[in-house]
Amino acid sequence: MMNNRSLLSGLAAALLSVSLLVGCSGGSKAVPAATTPAPAPTQPAKEQVVNLYSARNYPVDTVLYEEFTKQTGIKVNVVQGKAEELIERLKREGESTPADLFVTVDGGVLNNAKESGVLQAMTSATIEQTVPKALRDKDNQWVGLSTRARVIAYSKERVKPDQLSTYEDLASAQWKGKVLVRSSTSLYNQSLVAALIDTNGEQAVQTWAQGVVANMARKPEGGDRDQVKAIAAGVGDVAIINTYYYGQMLISKDAEEVKAAEKVALFFPNQKTNGTHINISGAGLTKHSKNKENAIKLVEFLTGEAAQAKFAAENFEFPVNTKAQKPELLKTWGEFKTQQIDWVKLGTNNKKALELLTKAAWQ
Amino acid sequence: MAERAKLIRALKKHTNSWLILGLLGAAVILLPLVPIILGLFKAPNENWQHITQYLLAGYLLNSLQLVALTGFFTVTLGVCLAWLIAAYDFPLRRFFRWALLLPLAVPPYIAAYTYSTMFSYTGIVQKTLRSFDVTPNPKWFGVLSMRGAVFIFTLCLFPYVYMIARSFFERQSGSYIENAMLLGRGPAAVFFRVALPLARPAIAGGVALVVFEVLGDYGVTSYYGVHTISTAIFQTWFGMYDVDSAIRLAAYLMIGTVGLFLVERWVRRNRRFSSSTSKMRPLAPRRLKGGWSWAAGLFCGSVFAWSFLFPVVQLGVWASWTFESVFTPAFGELIIRTVSLALLATVIIMFFAVIVANLHRTNANPFTSALSRWVTAGYSVPGAIVAIGVLACFIGLDRVLAPFYAVLGLGKAPLVLSMSLVMLVVAYVVRFMATGFNAVEAGFERVGTKFTEVSRTLGFGMTRTFLRVDLPLIKGAIFSGIVLTFVEIVKELPLAMLLRPFNFETLATKAYQYANDEKIFEAAVPSLLIIGVSMIAVYVLNQVGKEAGE
Repeated sequence: MMNNRSLLSGLAAALLSVSLLVGCSGGSKAVPAATTPAPAPTQPAKEQVVNLYSARNYPVDTVLYEEFTKQTGIKVNVVQGKAEELIERLKREGESTPADLFVTVDGGVLNNAKESGVLQAMTSATIEQTVPKALRDKDNQWVGLSTRARVIAYSKERVKPDQLSTYEDLASAQWKGKVLVRSSTSLYNQSLVAALIDTNGEQAVQTWAQGVVANMARKPEGGDRDQVKAIAAGVGDVAIINTYYYGQMLISKDAEEVKAAEKVALFFPNQKTNGTHINISGAGLTKHSKNKENAIKLVEFLTGEAAQAKFAAENFEFPVNTKAQKPELLKTWGEFKTQQIDWVKLGTNNKKALELLTKAAWQ
Repeated sequence: MAERAKLIRALKKHTNSWLILGLLGAAVILLPLVPIILGLFKAPNENWQHITQYLLAGYLLNSLQLVALTGFFTVTLGVCLAWLIAAYDFPLRRFFRWALLLPLAVPPYIAAYTYSTMFSYTGIVQKTLRSFDVTPNPKWFGVLSMRGAVFIFTLCLFPYVYMIARSFFERQSGSYIENAMLLGRGPAAVFFRVALPLARPAIAGGVALVVFEVLGDYGVTSYYGVHTISTAIFQTWFGMYDVDSAIRLAAYLMIGTVGLFLVERWVRRNRRFSSSTSKMRPLAPRRLKGGWSWAAGLFCGSVFAWSFLFPVVQLGVWASWTFESVFTPAFGELIIRTVSLALLATVIIMFFAVIVANLHRTNANPFTSALSRWVTAGYSVPGAIVAIGVLACFIGLDRVLAPFYAVLGLGKAPLVLSMSLVMLVVAYVVRFMATGFNAVEAGFERVGTKFTEVSRTLGFGMTRTFLRVDLPLIKGAIFSGIVLTFVEIVKELPLAMLLRPFNFETLATKAYQYANDEKIFEAAVPSLLIIGVSMIAVYVLNQVGKEAGE
């Protein structure tokens, strides 16, 4: 009997909450329910805010936002998500959107945000001074925050650095059964291929992709770290990875991961040709931003020397501000020639890249 | 008390409130699916040809293979364990009876990361072997593949089948099985000829959840390099920047899965097993002897170890490395938020699940049976696609309400509902109706309609019949539904990612934040908290079940 009673009251409680819900979605009587979190950030409030839709998920970002708030009193509100999903949300919200900045990783995606018409130009003399032109959108609709290089990792034991030269060479016969790389679903690979299409042309890259697939030590699997581990394990000899994953492994809490990374070294390819492929993370001002000044202030802060040094130190990304202090590891990699690419191309070529990769059966 | 009486009286007066409430619930659930279905009516664009030519065929085959293998193994494992525990007694049986539900607490994508790291070159397995100077071929440990994905899904999802099948065997099949034994059937014949056919609806309900979950998954499959329909959807969206084609693909996926289960029900349309007696004698477990009893214990033990113990212990070790840097007092709030949100959504889901299932059972016609299939459709497509549908509806709703907001002084065309948790809760309801509904439906199916009909003949209304007659009979099923749904929501990721308000985190988004960056050691802390919260839910279910006299 006890049980029946508790069930009954449970049911009554259920009814109540349902009527609340139905009331909301039904329409007329909707009062922002108790579950609505306080001030919709669009409200003209005394509190100064800047609202972010961010696809960058690094802990260092949060640290920097907190610092910004401490310095300026401007509160940073964040919705974290996947880049394309956030763009979709921005598109659908239209001019009602509460977001001021869209932050993401990958030049192609930044360009796609621009193409989708959800961004606007941001004007700031400070930013134009600190961030080189090549690391900004040409209409300043987005500004770079950091760059990362996609390089070749190789086994110190089995590969001599002078055997390595270019990305293109990874399709040559000497690497038969030795190449490790993750799936073509990874945006990092798509962008690399999009960039190669720009420099070499679609036909050449199609042949290249087929060559790489033929040289693969195993079917693509796992993330970038898994490729480094596979070199250490002797599954393959060379891998295409992003620089910062290697940096993270060297300071891993797991001694075995450190040991594995130490068996591997990085090679910055295409130094004698058109430069190593880099990608960019950046922030764009949304078209319907309601806190424009605060948003620009935040971007200025994030591209400032102190914040940039922190990006580099905590995340092993390359700063966009040339004055920023770099951590030891980045220094040991030295200066290297980077691919001079129009970021627009990463976006516009991405579809071609994907089609080409699927045709090459790069899983 | 008085309120409750009033409520019941009001319900009784409007017997048809069942229908109205059912339709309302269905509307809330189906509306966000409309934008997805509408995707089918848009003219396909130039990408569609590439998709159908290169992505679809191969990926469809992979999906089918993954679903078939996972389905087969979850059913085999789930039903065997359920039968063993229900029909036999052996050492530690009482512990395993509930402990085998615990793998539900482990999010598949976390299990995927954990196992791949454990088996990787730097992981515990190969490291230990190396310390004995054994250097195995690393390819033997390649879990990042189809077989790895099947392994992970089987271990994480078999409890769906186990839970529903066990409760069926224990409570409903006693007299049939004992009669079969009296008539001289051996244990194998009893199992295959009597227990299994009787349990088919229950098993179908459980395996439906497995199939839905596997088809909608993107976390495990993308990490393990298994290209499925979900991969095609996300490649189209994230790689070709083509949302319309992605939605179109999702619509086909949804129709396909719903169709599959309509067919399954049609096939067993003429097989209804209602109990013929009110005294459904629970099955009395028979004691296993000697070696057999140890073998049974060992079998359960190893399934438990692989599906729960090993990954959790490993996560514990990793968490101890990163606890200091990751854990903050804010996690307390995170837990409370995650739990209260999940509870709220679960209550709403169970309420509608019961209403729609009861409606369908008492007025079985093509309309209600279509309705009862479609309310579960949200589970069959990737969460991100459901999220788009929900987002579209809520932004539309906010537009409609704009004049009203203006009166309230909220500014010109603000987003109120779509910037609130209401949107996320509705999304949870849309997506996880299936877990609640399937449990309730399985409960109703095994009860049949005899008692209800008697009660109605004796003059009780639909509501009173439900409260006095049906509810006590399906109590167990409702509890299972609550726990399944609650645990699913605690683990949920894609909806929370896309539909959350500013500065809102759940345990799952926190875990994702690290895991996505390949920081599995840091992800261990929030992952363990997810597992902990879910474990408590499973434990409570067990206690409540005991009190209810299961």
